[in-house]
Order: sequence, then structure tokens, then C-alpha cells
Amino acid sequence: MNIIVFLKQVADTEARIFIKSDQNSLEIENKYNMNFFDEFAVEEAIKIKEKSKDAQVTVCTYGPKRAIEALRTAIAMGADKAVLLNSDGLECDDSLTVSKVLAAFAKNEGLDLILCGRQAIDDESASIGGMVAEFLGVPHVSAILSLDVTDGKTARVESEVEGGKERVEVHLPALLTTQKGLNTPRVPLITGVMKAMKAVIPDVDPTILGLPREEIDPSAAGIRVLSYETPQQRPPVKILEGETPAEKVQGLIKALKEQAKVL
Amino acid sequence: MPNDIFVVVEYKDGGIRKVSLELLSKARQVTERLGSTLYAVVMGHAVTELAAVLRKFSNKVIVVDHEELENYRWDTFTSVLEKLAEKYKPFMVLGGSTVTGKDLFPRVAARLKGAIVSDAVGMELDGTSVRIKKPLYGGKIVSWVSCKENLTAMITFRPNSFAVENHNLTGELIEESVDPLRDPRITVTGIDKGGSKKVDIQEADFIICGGRGMKGPENFDILESIADLMGGRVGASRAVVDSKWRDYDDQVGKSGKTVSPKLYIGCGVSGALHHTMGMDTSKVIVAVNKDPNAPIFSYADYGIVDDLFTVLPILKKELEQAKEET
Ligand SMILES: Cc1cc2nc3c(=O)[nH]c(=O)nc-3n(C[C@H](O)[C@H](O)[C@H](O)COP(=O)(O)OP(=O)(O)OC[C@H]3O[C@@H](n4cnc5c(N)ncnc54)[C@H](O)[C@@H]3O)c2cc1C
Ligand SMILES: Nc1ncnc2c1ncn2[C@@H]1O[C@H](COP(=O)(O)O)[C@@H](O)[C@H]1O
Repeated sequence: MNIIVFLKQVADTEARIFIKSDQNSLEIENKYNMNFFDEFAVEEAIKIKEKSKDAQVTVCTYGPKRAIEALRTAIAMGADKAVLLNSDGLECDDSLTVSKVLAAFAKNEGLDLILCGRQAIDDESASIGGMVAEFLGVPHVSAILSLDVTDGKTARVESEVEGGKERVEVHLPALLTTQKGLNTPRVPLITGVMKAMKAVIPDVDPTILGLPREEIDPSAAGIRVLSYETPQQRPPVKILEGETPAEKVQGLIKALKEQAKVL
Repeated sequence: MPNDIFVVVEYKDGGIRKVSLELLSKARQVTERLGSTLYAVVMGHAVTELAAVLRKFSNKVIVVDHEELENYRWDTFTSVLEKLAEKYKPFMVLGGSTVTGKDLFPRVAARLKGAIVSDAVGMELDGTSVRIKKPLYGGKIVSWVSCKENLTAMITFRPNSFAVENHNLTGELIEESVDPLRDPRITVTGIDKGGSKKVDIQEADFIICGGRGMKGPENFDILESIADLMGGRVGASRAVVDSKWRDYDDQVGKSGKTVSPKLYIGCGVSGALHHTMGMDTSKVIVAVNKDPNAPIFSYADYGIVDDLFTVLPILKKELEQAKEET
């Protein structure tokens, strides 16, 4: 069974981000990690591999050279193979473009199962999984909470739906996106880290995947950023003073009614 | 037609979800200025009566009524929306950034080879071009984006992004018959919809959120009663969900739900970045914490520094009184 995990390297939540003076580009502190939801995808792929002898896990990202570090993390966790699709000079933020590139990779690679994170925590788009599946014409379930693929032909899945959970059976090949709760991602062992450090990760130009260059050129993007701004700052907090808790609460209610007008 | 807008309507328990009315209200401002048509699109079974309300908010209401559309399914809904978009050629298709919206929109976008923006919070018209406001990096940065011309723009918006305004229109009802296509490769074997009676946390106007400072699951009863009183929802920090005091469905934050109610009250929540990322677009934020240096006070509009166990019963009483007065 061929399992592909698409993962993204994203700015750490603690990383400082500044808007450059042109208001049109960002400067991001050099702190990057594998996307939070993608760790569940890598973990699940490795768990499947550990259970069935013939499974192979390929991790792939479309991004700049630095994203290779996120692939190394996945190898340290136990992935067999990693590929960097180098986005240098190409469009890498627009969901339409990114999903076309990833779908082209999966098509070339051959697959039984694709796992992606539910959403990337930088663009919070939650769209790549569904779009890649549509481009490949494979069935897709989003936000899965449990997975069983023991027979190698169907996946038994539990997923999050509006107001609850749903259980479905999906024919493979299929694409699933992973939600928190699916598993507990492992911390790589030192032997894994050593292996990952030595791993040779191919740096591939995605234009060889058979997509016309004009479809992955920055001019192809469906979305264009016009400007960035910092969110509106809240005025400093008003701490409600009072001799007793009751006075503080009464002060709060008054403020919510008269100033904030939310009561 | 160029400049026409589709709003994909969601409903629950026989009523239209607020997010859909918000989007119709906002979209109306755009179509009015562009002189184009606003369509409310309803897919479902026995949903024609929703059209009565939707007519007031749109120029045309498209209803696709089919028994295969009784419950949301990725395959049937995707196929129907794709067909409608191909027929009417709207330049934008808008929906809520809900569990359903997040599932449906990317699929249809891929089929239409359209542009997609998810989880947007604002929309403005600059001359004849539309700008979309979308937070990035957990709200640390806000971007304004535009969609490429000639592509259908599929955009989902966070609930509570816009006000509901009844434009008192009398939209025309169009009953479309489209056969929903089922994907035989996926079979549903079970559905659990436990807490579906509750207000959806992303749509709630009021959220009272408990953190580890609540000490235990039994203490959430008072939060529940305050939430009921205010017609809102109880939320929880990850520490609380990880301790199994509350369900994951209640979790607010980076790895939980992003919420923006009119009023958020955090009780015994420290205000870690991972938490505030999920709630800092709330209109008004109140924090109750005994530690005056708790980081949540840097995100709050109002703060009470005190023991929450003494504050909460008083808060409940005062809110009851405030409710009675109005
Ligand atoms: C990758 C990642 C993702 C995460 N995602 C999320 C997420 O989605 N949502 C989330 O919430 N967290 C998330 N976290 C965890 C987050 O970093 C914090 O650990 C968590 O939010 C802390 O929860 P808390 O505020 O309830 O607990 P604590 O930080 O322990 O705070 C408890 C607070 O209660 C106060 N307190 C205690 N007793 C009382 C009392 N009697 N009266 C008044 N105040 C009292 C204390 O002063 C303290 O400020 C994530 C972390 C990581 C690493
Ligand atoms: N550039 C990328 N390379 C590889 N995988 C990606 C990329 N962007 C997004 N993904 C995958 O798609 C998921 C959803 O991303 P998004 O739609 O951007 O929120 C992520 O969790 C990743 O698994």
C-alpha cells in the first residue's frame, strides 16, 4: 500500500511576523515547524505501516528549500521517503495552484491513500485536501477522528460533521484529512533523528510533473494579496475596581450595558 | 451573469442559520451597487418554506428540493452546487465557514477551477472590484485579497462577520430540478449527533469559556446556566478538554474552534496565545482571573481580578436582573 502524506511547513505560533514597508509582503521570524494537523497525518501513516508489512509512507511538501526540515521531522518519525517540490519562483500560497501541483505529484507517484492535515495554521484555509481529491477524482473525507484500513481496500472512518460525528466506509484510493483526536503524534527517537539527518531528500522542480508552467506561475494564482495590515488593537483592559466582588461585577454589568452596549 | 452573487444557505431545525442571513445582508450591498442579482441558494428536502424568509433578503431564491438532499453529503451537494454555478455563472459564491461550508466549498472550487478564500471576515467594494478581508497566522496579520477575474470566487466567511439587515425585498422563487449525483465509493454507516440542540459555538453571540481555573467538570454547571440565560454557549480551553472535563466540540483556540461572539467571558483561562488565536476577533472580551498578571488581560476589554468561584454566582444573578430589565 502506497501512502502519501502532504505536509506543510508553517511559521511557529510564537514566531514574530512583521509587515514590510510596502504593505505587501511579510517578514517572518525564522521559526518554522511542521503544521500542527499534519503531525496527525504522519503519525497515522506510520501506524498503518507498522501494522501492515507492505505499506510505504512518502511525505511530500510543495514549498521553499527551508521546508525540507519539516520533511526531516517526518522521516525521524518513521516515514520512508520524502520529496520536496521546490516552489522557487512559482506560486505557492494560492490554494488552487498548490492543489494542482500536489495532485500532479500524487498522480505520478501512484497511491492508495493520501493523508493531509485538516488545515494549515498559517493560511487557515482548510481547502487543499478537498481540492486535491477533486483534481485526482478520488473520494475524500474531511476531519477524520479514527481510521481503519486493515483490509487494504476500504477505509473505515469516523469524521467530524455539523453537530456530531459520522462513520463512513470509503473505497481506496481515497484522500482523508486529519483532525486533532485521531492519535497522539510520536516524539521521534534519537535513532530516527540520526537517520533523518543523513537522509537525502530530492529537491524536485514541480514543472516536471506535467503541469503547464503557466498554471503554476505566480500569475496563475486565483487569489492576489492587495495589502497586509496589523489587526486592530484593543484599547488597554479596564480592570473593574471595587471593595467587594459584587461591586466589581456591578461595574462590569454597567460597562457592558452603557459602554460596550452588548447587554 | 457577471457580478451576480450566490449565497449558499444553511439551515438547522427548520430555521435559516444566522450566518446565511448575514451573508445575504452583506452581499446585497454589493449587488445593489453593481446592479446585479443576488441569489439565495437552498439545497435540501422539503425546504421550500424557507424561501418565504429568504425572499426578503434576495432578488431570487433558487430551491433545489430533492429527497437525496435530506442531509448534507459531500457528493450530492457538490454536484448540485456545481451544476447551479455552471448554469447561472455567478462571479462569487459565498457561504459560512462552518463544518459544512469548509467541506463543500473547496470541492466545488476545484470542479469549477475557481479561486478560493476561506474563513474570511470582511468584504468591501472598491469601485467595481471586491476586496476580501482574511486573517492569517491565527489573527496576527490581516490580509486584503482579490480574486482573479474570470474565475468563480468561492468564499467562506466566519459567522458573526456581518450584521443581519432585512432589505425587505420580494425575491422571485425559482425551483430548479437538478439530480444529485451520489458517489458510490463512500457509504455512511452511522451518524451521532449528540449535542445538536445547542447553539453552534461558532455562531453563538455569547460564549462563556472555562479554563483550568474552573477546577473540575462539576463547576461548569454554573457556566451552563449563564450560557442558557444568555442564549449562548459554554466554551473551554484546551487544558479543560484534555482533562476530559468538556468535549472537544467546546474547545476554543488554535487547535479547536475559532469564534467571534459579541461577548466572550473567559473564567479561569490564562490567555495563552493558542487560546486567544481562537477568540480575539470577539467584539467584547471579558476576563475573570485571580492573577492580575494573567496574559488574558492583554486581550480583554474588561477584567475582574478575583476568585471566579465568588464572582460567578454574583455574575449570574446580575445578568438575570439585567435580562429582566430589558
Ligand atoms: C500546538 C498547541 C495547540 C494548542 N491549542 C490550543 C487551543 O486550541 N485552545 C486552548 O485553549 N489551548 C491550546 N493550547 C494550549 C495552550 O497553550 C494553554 O496551555 C491552554 O490554553 C491553557 O489552558 P487554561 O488557560 O485553561 O489553563 P492555565 O494556563 O493553567 O490557566 C488557568 C488560569 O486560571 C486562573 N485561576 C486559577 N484558579 C482560579 C480561581 N479560583 N479564580 C480565578 N482564576 C483562577 C489562573 O490564574 C490561570 O491564569 C495549545 C497548545 C499547543 C502547544
Ligand atoms: N504547500 C503544501 N505542500 C504540501 N501540503 C500542503 C501544502 N499546503 C497545504 N498542504 C496540506 O493541506 C492541508 C490543508 O492546508 P490548507 O488548505 O492550506 O489549510 C495541510 O494540513 C497540509 O496537509
